[in-house]
Amino acid sequence: MNTRSNLAAVLMVAFLVCCGALILGQKVNAASEGKITGTVKLDGAAPHMKGIDMSKDPYCVKVNANNTPKMENVIVGSGGGLGNVVLYISEGLSNPTESTAVQVFDQKNCQYTPHVLAMNVGQTFKVTTSDQTAHNIHPNPNPMTGNIPWNQSQPPGAPPVEKSWKAPEFIEVKCNIHPWMHGWFAVVKGPYATTDDNGNYTINNVPPGNYTVTAWQEVYGTQNQKVTVAAGGSAKADFTFKAK
Amino acid sequence: MRTNLLEWSLCLGVVAPLLFPSASLAQLTKEDINSRLNMESHIGTRTGQANSGTVKYDYVRYCVGCHGDLGDGNGEVAQWLDPPMWPKPRDFQLGIFKCRSTPTGTLPTDEDLFDTLARGLDRSAMPQWNVFTNDQRVDLVAWVKHFSPRFVSEKPGTPIQIPPEPEVTAERIKSGREVFARVQCWKCHGVTGQANGPSASTLQDDLGRPIEPFNFTNGSRPKCGASDQDIYRTFMTGMDGTPMPSFADNIKPDEAWDLVFYLRTFMRQPSKEKDIAKQLGLKPVNPNSP
Amino acid sequence: MLIGTRMCARRFAYVQSFATAALGLIISFVSVTPSANALPAFARKYGLRCSACHETWPILNNFGLKFRDNGYQLMNDRDAPIWQNPSYWPVTFRITPIWHRVSNLNEVDTYNGVTTAQPFGASAIQRITSSGFDLSGLDFHTGGTLEKNISFYVLPSSDPTAAFHFETVMGRFDNIFGTPWLNIKMGRFELNNLLSEKRMVGLTGEGGIYQTYHFIPLGDGNIFGQMGDNQLGLEYLGHSVDDRTRVSASLLSSSDGNVNLIMGANSYSGFFTFDQGFDAGKLGVQRLGAYAFLGDAATYYKTTGGVPIPGSGIGNKSFYRVGFTGQIYFGPHFDINLVTQHGEDNAWFGQGYGNAIATNGNGAATCTTPTVLNGCPPNNVPGTVLPLGARAPVWNGYTVEARYVYSPQLIFLFHYDGERMSQQANGPGFTGTGPTGIVGQAPSDLGNINNYDFIARYNPFMSSRAGMALQAEYTWFHQIGTGPVSPVTLLGTNQNSNELLLGLDIDF
Repeated sequence: MNTRSNLAAVLMVAFLVCCGALILGQKVNAASEGKITGTVKLDGAAPHMKGIDMSKDPYCVKVNANNTPKMENVIVGSGGGLGNVVLYISEGLSNPTESTAVQVFDQKNCQYTPHVLAMNVGQTFKVTTSDQTAHNIHPNPNPMTGNIPWNQSQPPGAPPVEKSWKAPEFIEVKCNIHPWMHGWFAVVKGPYATTDDNGNYTINNVPPGNYTVTAWQEVYGTQNQKVTVAAGGSAKADFTFKAK
Repeated sequence: MRTNLLEWSLCLGVVAPLLFPSASLAQLTKEDINSRLNMESHIGTRTGQANSGTVKYDYVRYCVGCHGDLGDGNGEVAQWLDPPMWPKPRDFQLGIFKCRSTPTGTLPTDEDLFDTLARGLDRSAMPQWNVFTNDQRVDLVAWVKHFSPRFVSEKPGTPIQIPPEPEVTAERIKSGREVFARVQCWKCHGVTGQANGPSASTLQDDLGRPIEPFNFTNGSRPKCGASDQDIYRTFMTGMDGTPMPSFADNIKPDEAWDLVFYLRTFMRQPSKEKDIAKQLGLKPVNPNSP
Repeated sequence: MLIGTRMCARRFAYVQSFATAALGLIISFVSVTPSANALPAFARKYGLRCSACHETWPILNNFGLKFRDNGYQLMNDRDAPIWQNPSYWPVTFRITPIWHRVSNLNEVDTYNGVTTAQPFGASAIQRITSSGFDLSGLDFHTGGTLEKNISFYVLPSSDPTAAFHFETVMGRFDNIFGTPWLNIKMGRFELNNLLSEKRMVGLTGEGGIYQTYHFIPLGDGNIFGQMGDNQLGLEYLGHSVDDRTRVSASLLSSSDGNVNLIMGANSYSGFFTFDQGFDAGKLGVQRLGAYAFLGDAATYYKTTGGVPIPGSGIGNKSFYRVGFTGQIYFGPHFDINLVTQHGEDNAWFGQGYGNAIATNGNGAATCTTPTVLNGCPPNNVPGTVLPLGARAPVWNGYTVEARYVYSPQLIFLFHYDGERMSQQANGPGFTGTGPTGIVGQAPSDLGNINNYDFIARYNPFMSSRAGMALQAEYTWFHQIGTGPVSPVTLLGTNQNSNELLLGLDIDF
């Protein structure tokens, strides 16, 4: 056979296989998705989290009678693990799928649960109140990103407020009535995870590929690491933030 | 240790502007803002235009000292305005406004901005600009809008529906008192509306500056208007950029009128509501009751 | 916090005084200072730039007029001094260093070179031009609020030699019973003229006043009726919330603002104004109004030893000035202001009665035979009869001021005053000698004025703290019959004077 036509045939087949893999790959990925897992630690002495004086609101004092409420900016577990750190993929994902699960952000015992709620762009979340004292839910994004601040009351027994965000951003949430209350909406694209109290996390549903994983903590900022996820495999990315 | 008042004053005088930086989230450039010079406003049958030729001149004459060349609230005198007594000038680039007829988190209508210009904002350095003709003011509304890209990419919110105002009755005032107690307005505004609620002293606006809740009792006018409709609208849309939330999800429209009537009983101006409250011997709500 | 807001407004007060002699009008270019109300103190208080209240300071625009009508309040519940930092002190001062060249006609002694010079030996009318650097007086403004809805203003003003007097001293109750229709002011204050002489930018002798506000026919003894001078009295002012409609009524002592009941005690005048603003779409707010100044002033004084006792002015005769005012805006860059006047003084005033007799330091009269001609105004003792042919002087006046405001920092103005006598005091049948030496009936145009004033004014900066302007001005003034008396015909000639001025206007 003619060498030139051989080459053309080979190239054609290769091309078709590549395209086919890409096209079919979307469906194949579900089966071959991997994950990224790891631990985030704090190097150094954990900062002291101040106790909160809730005397502005006798109800808050009453419901916290059996524990000492503390500021939650830095949560360090017994092994030095950092809680409330959000992990997400900042580079490498071409078509991130956005989760549609409806998450809950609760106001309980005059604090936010969870302190940091990670979510995708466009993912609905519900703000609820379990307290018998009035709150107002007041996230404060930078309007220049496309996320617009809003401010709604949540008196006792109020129905949930359902919202979502338009753009990736780390948005601080406050209650004006109880000035110690503050939390975060971490709006990211693609799969994400939040560390538990021991600093451990697992990001599921990661298609195979090369990525940059970013860890964000509200006080210590962000750190990046490059990982490669094999099909169905598990990549490891540990982070260490230095205490100030 | 005795401290010299003068020394303390000088110290605070140096420190004060540092504590309240005229922070601006928005950093749009002049080129970006100029790209929106074709912004229009529509109020009634009038159309205002940001490129009308005269409106820029009016802005420079009257507004730029506080609001700045880029509309970001950093005019030359803004640094000397001290919250909470003198709120900082508005940053138009953000598109966030206190007085709207639209829900929280949405843009105001052109008419909202038109009304705010004429009404001014009491207890601030924003005067009542009712010396302008209506045609000059619609142009100014278009000019205010052209600072923010949001007026290009978003539509204003849908104005809330305000049902017709019912008759003032004793039952309604008592019901308004219940609403006041249930949604706990008193936490900031105080049980007598004197702005001395438990949370009043630590309030901050969205940029971290101190801010005070409205004191109903000292004869001053609410910022977003003093009519019954204005007060209805204020708590059913919230004052964006401030701690004052929207109560639209928690107060039904009919109850909202009851609350308006109850709030009138706090105010200094004589009113039918005050007479009825006096007859009823209405007492302030008890913050400690469940 | 110590850092308070400050106000920027300057006030330039120019005090203008005209001394009128019986023989002719000897115009003294003594410290001609238009009061300008631009207070950096106000701008420092509220943080507004000067241009918010002033078309170009000191001229008020509609917003500034509303601020003033509100009693120097923005009506934002932050007007009372309690909201200001204690270090804020509402004081402003203004002064104008200038260079000017004044030229007018004078009777000049000419030395004939033969005999030793003698007074009145030979004289001729010559144009004398003098130029040099000069100063205006100093104005010290302090004003604003004492409390919410209680305002005040104090303006000590000096001539260039630092001799002070009180130009303005007033206390005012604003928005009584909560309505802008009820404001009462008392003290010495500027009359509520829509076109305000105290806020004009002219600095020259004749250009720094509105002639229509000060016109007095030749030989007329009425020292009052001067709309441009600050007067002592009580003023009611009412206005709509948006200041579109304004009405005022003042009760004044007919003393031309002189204190200690020197002159014009026991005589009162009323000053009434009304003006209405109309929305003219993109052109802005247009105003049309009318005013009336009606009153009595004294014509004679009780005497002791032939010397008039100050404050004993009686024998009151009447006068009036009425007219229309207009402010027409053609957009933000160009506007025209108009004042018309129809004025009439009683025939007694026309014959010179009303001026107090000049006295020396010991209180003795410096002239023995009072006549209008020799500079010694007559004191009308009871029984005096008006000469035959004496009539009430009547006149019409027009002032037009056109302004081109390129920007709040650069303005060009043209201002014209025209005064036209329509009835002279010495009418047909009059046989005596008039103030210019003319015997019998006075010519119909005696005393008529044409005054032209051109101004270019530039503010190098505009902030809310202080202000300064660079000014170039040229004024040409022409009046019939007030020139020096011709040594040939022994009749008064026409005065024709001009002034070129370059100066700095400083306001802090």
